[in-house]
Amino acid sequence: MKTSVLALGLVAAAALTSQAHADKLDDVIGSGTLRCAVVLDFPPMGSRDENNNPIGFDVDYCNDLAKALGVTAEIVETPFPERIPALMSGRVDVGVASTSDTLERAKTVGMTIPYFAFEMAVTANDKSGVKSFEDMKGKVVGATAGTFEAIALEKQVKEWGAGEFRPYQTQADVFLALSQGQIDATVSTSTVAQANIKGGKFAGISVVGKAPFDTDYVALFTNREEYGFVNFLNLFINQQVRTGRYAELYEKWVGGELPDLTAKGVYR
Amino acid sequence: MFSYTFHWNQALKALPQMLDGALVTLQVALLSMVIGLALALALTACRLSGNRILGGFATAWVEIARNTPALFQIYMAHFGLGNFGIHLSPYTALLAGIAFNNAGYLAENFRGALKAIPDTQTRAGRSLGMTSVQAFRYIVLPQMLRIAFLPVTNQMVWAILMTSLGVTVGMNTDLAGITQELNARSFRTFEFFAIAAVIYYLIAKAVTLGARLLAARMFRY
Repeated sequence: MKTSVLALGLVAAAALTSQAHADKLDDVIGSGTLRCAVVLDFPPMGSRDENNNPIGFDVDYCNDLAKALGVTAEIVETPFPERIPALMSGRVDVGVASTSDTLERAKTVGMTIPYFAFEMAVTANDKSGVKSFEDMKGKVVGATAGTFEAIALEKQVKEWGAGEFRPYQTQADVFLALSQGQIDATVSTSTVAQANIKGGKFAGISVVGKAPFDTDYVALFTNREEYGFVNFLNLFINQQVRTGRYAELYEKWVGGELPDLTAKGVYR
Repeated sequence: MFSYTFHWNQALKALPQMLDGALVTLQVALLSMVIGLALALALTACRLSGNRILGGFATAWVEIARNTPALFQIYMAHFGLGNFGIHLSPYTALLAGIAFNNAGYLAENFRGALKAIPDTQTRAGRSLGMTSVQAFRYIVLPQMLRIAFLPVTNQMVWAILMTSLGVTVGMNTDLAGITQELNARSFRTFEFFAIAAVIYYLIAKAVTLGARLLAARMFRY
């Protein structure tokens, strides 16, 4: 008897809360804060300045988004493997974290249209003798676990049937292992490779060429069922490009030729 | 409120791959235990030897192994030594880290067990005409192993669970490494980690059970 009353109460409470529960877009506007998952060891997309403040393309992008929503942005530092768990557990509202829009992930979270695109570069330890992507065959290579390039590189190593692939937890660990000579080469986004070499923290490594992987389109993401929010995010990305803000941010953080965010022949 | 739908059937497809990883996990744990036991016996011998340098070395080892996180010990073996140009593969670094940790804990277990055996045992043996080595070999050592057995099983379970720290140094062939990669690909965190947790539980249970059976055979009166 008692348990059934309790159960009934719980059901009633759940019904009430779900009735009062607006969608995420309303929640964010109502709370006055937008919590963005951003990866901060991934310069120039996300990193920290000398005063330990978050900076980078993704940080600015989150601030722009918060401004568009009329709320304050809160940058939640999230390592690569924890981006989607952070969303699923309700610690963040949206991921502005250079997340590749794979179909596998879209089964779990709602992906927007691409907001950025990366090309892949090979960075090698100078002592390894790796001078191109093909030279990586038979060598010990590594990348950040679970990233677009890690998945592609591991597949490639299996196809070559020689060498070894090592996934590390953070981008910093990959470059540390590379500069120590624990691994001979890595594939990363060219922006990250350049930023890490310019940063000067890692000695004895250089970018040696491009990796023949597909362009890595990255999307913002939020909960899969939040159509209203996804809709808003898609329009926001569109507006960033239209207003020239995307080009402005690209020039500020990356420089060079602006990548095309559209795939030819399809609308998205 | 709760907005997560489980994709168990998709996650379970990865089970064979995870079981392969479980074998690697078990292998690392068993190897680290064998190496750890050998090192622990050596450390115990160093402490009993009365030699100051050997004793000091053993004490330092035990102090560091027991009072610093296992994660640091493994990270040090890979990235720490890497700074000096000594390159241990993720597998070796993981094995070295856990064996180091195991040796420290097991040496303490042995010390505790030795303390629990009264001196009168040795004296009784000597009065029966045994040499001190014989007295140790036939009277003290069997009792020590008997007392230390349960703590050693504990350490074995701990060693199995410690293998999961290998992901921090790029280990991708053991159960934790494989689970982590499956998770990074699809982000079905709950499903994959839950399956992995069940496998870890079963490995640990199997090892404890195996140890019990072994103990029942070895320590029969």
